[in-house]
Amino acid sequence: MRQMKGIRLRMIQILLGLLAVILLFPMVQTFLYSFSSMTEMQAFMKTRGSYDETRWMEAHLIPNRVSLLQYHQILIADNTVLRLFLNSVFYALTILLGQAVVIPAMSFGLAKFRFPGRNALFFVIILLMLLPFQVTMVPNVLTLRSMGLLDSVWAIIIPMWFAPFYIFLIRQFMVGLPAELTEAAEMDGAGTLSVYLRIILPVSRPILGAAAALSFAESWNLVEQPLTYLTTRTDLQPLSTMFNQLAAENTGFEFAGATLYILPALFIYLFFQEDILSGIALTELK
Amino acid sequence: MYRKKRLVLPFLLPGLIGIIVFYVAPFFGGVWYSLTDGSFENAFVGLENYSKVWQNPMFQLGLKNTMELSLICAPSLFLLSFLLSLLLNRIRPAGGFFRSSVLLPYLMPSSAVLIIWLLWFDYGGPVNHLITLLGGNRVLWLQGAELRMPVVLLFLWKNLGFCVIIYLAALQAIPVSLYEYAALEGAGFIRQAFSITLPMIVPTAFLVFILSFVNAFRIFKEVYFIGGAYPEEPLYTLQNYMNNMYGKLNYQNVTTAAYIFAGMVFALFGLLFFLQNRAQRGLN
Repeated sequence: MRQMKGIRLRMIQILLGLLAVILLFPMVQTFLYSFSSMTEMQAFMKTRGSYDETRWMEAHLIPNRVSLLQYHQILIADNTVLRLFLNSVFYALTILLGQAVVIPAMSFGLAKFRFPGRNALFFVIILLMLLPFQVTMVPNVLTLRSMGLLDSVWAIIIPMWFAPFYIFLIRQFMVGLPAELTEAAEMDGAGTLSVYLRIILPVSRPILGAAAALSFAESWNLVEQPLTYLTTRTDLQPLSTMFNQLAAENTGFEFAGATLYILPALFIYLFFQEDILSGIALTELK
Repeated sequence: MYRKKRLVLPFLLPGLIGIIVFYVAPFFGGVWYSLTDGSFENAFVGLENYSKVWQNPMFQLGLKNTMELSLICAPSLFLLSFLLSLLLNRIRPAGGFFRSSVLLPYLMPSSAVLIIWLLWFDYGGPVNHLITLLGGNRVLWLQGAELRMPVVLLFLWKNLGFCVIIYLAALQAIPVSLYEYAALEGAGFIRQAFSITLPMIVPTAFLVFILSFVNAFRIFKEVYFIGGAYPEEPLYTLQNYMNNMYGKLNYQNVTTAAYIFAGMVFALFGLLFFLQNRAQRGLN
């Protein structure tokens, strides 16, 4: 599009800049609060919920005195948060590992092979992608129970290995890859497995990165699955279902907990940011 | 394109088995639950569960709230992300910082952010402070129907970026020459947006619209973080109903409600798909 100059361009930049600051503010505020002492934070959080018309909450942003006590509490003194955090890490990693084996292979099959029922299968995957979790919830509980997986970590992990959204996303990218890419290798007599591993996967790097980051975000924010598949096992719950209860107790270390919870997602984002942007730009999302 | 059917099996089979076991079979298996009474004999009762669930007041409340929340969330997400991506496209390549910060919330865990959210919307908090500075009165954001506002904003905050990025990718694929030609003909910004941009991105807009609804139907997450399993009435969604019925081991009601919901979801997407086809034919 035609580049704009002068005052209108400035105005748009200022508007978007302001919005960006608002969007980032919750994270910044969390980081800042995490360096307050626990007593300071407890006192501040107690000023919430007052209906006194004459008073406002303190406009508190920067800690009165910088303290690492909150971190000491969650990392060393009390392992409740850390244990839940490690549960979440375990879920995110095992889900990602299984998906890495199953999903790109299936996307490749759907994108680059011709076989009967291919379009029907792809249509089913799109339908499943739109389906709310609760529709298949009860029969899934019975399946998982009969396999002896209910109330174990695998009840959460294994169904996620086949998440239809990522099959759709990666397939759409691979469909767009030109045929010439693989033809030379085929002439040389390379088998499909070697074409898949040596050519298709490396050139699909952006969408694989994007899918990995999105899948991580989903696993990091699991709610429905632990609530239904792990009803008797609070010790296996991830941070996502338990964090609120911890935060509601006004322990004084909730912001260090929140920071710990946010940081891995932030690193994943920074690491895969370019992949997400270019992966989506190169994918035929129609 | 490979034609030998045998060759595709090793790639397809693991995924196919999983999809059948954990997605397709449960979808059809659930039908049995919705048609039986759940007693020891598990007698066939036809559509009785459907009429019972349909008349259940909690189901009706959940359905009404889910529809209302989706109709607030999805269209605002759709429009807001379109406008933002238009602005962003105008100032490229300078918009890098904004592009990064708009997508970041999509990866953030909602429950970690929620503490800050509740602080902002406290009765004595910054949002009310701003409102009184602008001459308004304080609002009880964290009670009753007003609680929907923070929930919807949390939803928008989280989902805006992904839609903006999808739009932006489509916008950048439009050839610049089209706009240059339009500008020569004397078409202004608004005229260009509606005569060039919109028709060129109909398929993408359709996708964003669908994704907006898919995500809006999942607003249960945000509701659960704020209100738990039994939130106040204005926030009680269909998923709350289904989860609570599940907790009471009433599998018949869960699956029946789920199929009613799935039927509505598919009807909506079918309608959207039909409209998109019509719109595209109309434009060509």
